[in-house]
Amino acid sequence: MASALPTFTKIGKVIRLNRHGCTNRPFYHIVVQKTKDNQDGPVIEQVGSFDAMPNSKNEKLVALNFERIQYWLAQGAGLSDPVAQLLGLSGFLPNHPRTLIQAWKNRREPPRERKIEAIKGIAPPLDNPKL
Amino acid sequence: MADDVTKKQKKLAGNTLFTHFIMFGSSGSRVLNVINISYLQSRSKRVWVRKPLGSPMAKSKIFRITPKPALPEDEKAEIKRLFDNYKNSMKSIRQYFFEQSLKQAESGEVAQTKHRLEDQEHEQLVEENRLENEKTAMLREEKLKIQAEKTQQNVLASLIKKEGEAKLHEIQIEAFLTKQMCTPFIQAENIEKAIEDALANPVNFNFALDLDGYIYRGKDTSIDTIPEEKRERLSRN
Repeated sequence: MASALPTFTKIGKVIRLNRHGCTNRPFYHIVVQKTKDNQDGPVIEQVGSFDAMPNSKNEKLVALNFERIQYWLAQGAGLSDPVAQLLGLSGFLPNHPRTLIQAWKNRREPPRERKIEAIKGIAPPLDNPKL
Repeated sequence: MADDVTKKQKKLAGNTLFTHFIMFGSSGSRVLNVINISYLQSRSKRVWVRKPLGSPMAKSKIFRITPKPALPEDEKAEIKRLFDNYKNSMKSIRQYFFEQSLKQAESGEVAQTKHRLEDQEHEQLVEENRLENEKTAMLREEKLKIQAEKTQQNVLASLIKKEGEAKLHEIQIEAFLTKQMCTPFIQAENIEKAIEDALANPVNFNFALDLDGYIYRGKDTSIDTIPEEKRERLSRN
């Protein structure tokens, strides 16, 4: 959430996801950028990565540099929603409401049809194949 | 004819219908403004910016009514509660991080080395200042000594001068006083005598002067009556 506190002036920098990778195979860099720049524009610092495609063990790998993230948050950088969610899931920040909202919505709705079979691995099989 | 047109349109639908407009924005270019040049070449994916403002609504979308997602009240309340709590925690976390960063800035290595260097510099400067002060103090002392001597001499000279003047003044006063005493003041004893003398010798202030320096006393004196030899000459007293 790119929220500016009344005590902080907006420094114009955001921590957000930059899409790299190829077609139908996204790979995100978690990155500190100026708000004005495009997603593929100049980057101030890379602060992690997020692989949206689950691997052979059915894991979605996330890397986060907590020290640098803390530094930038202290400076007054904003957070985008997905990054805030990831940080909440990792335990660095409180859980984002969106995680909980998505969870109960998923529980409610019926599962959708999938072309690709779900991979079975270390992580327990998902009871809601919507994810 | 109409079928051909629609077919053509459908064929072009895969590409863009609006060939006159540049809707896709790539990094570095401004869409629909004059400047559409990117100075830095980027081969990244084109990003959809927005539909041109003057363009008409698509035929498939004219009569579309989007279903408004109506959430139940309790769900809305729950969502609001969650977000409020999250915002509160985030605010406090950010504040905490900020304070931590300040503390770290003060106590960290860089800050400590900086403080140390500053203290060293301060000491050096203080020492320099002290030496400089001493130098100037010496010079000042000498100057003051010379000045003191000068002033002493001046004072002496002036005193002597004043003494001399005072003496002169005294002498003058004495002379004046003696002169005054010489003048015949009329005292209480002399008054009768003075009156008698004044009555006996009236002073006639009527006189006339000649350019040659001869004086003719009296109001009623005629010049013709006095012979040349007996003319009184005015002399300087």
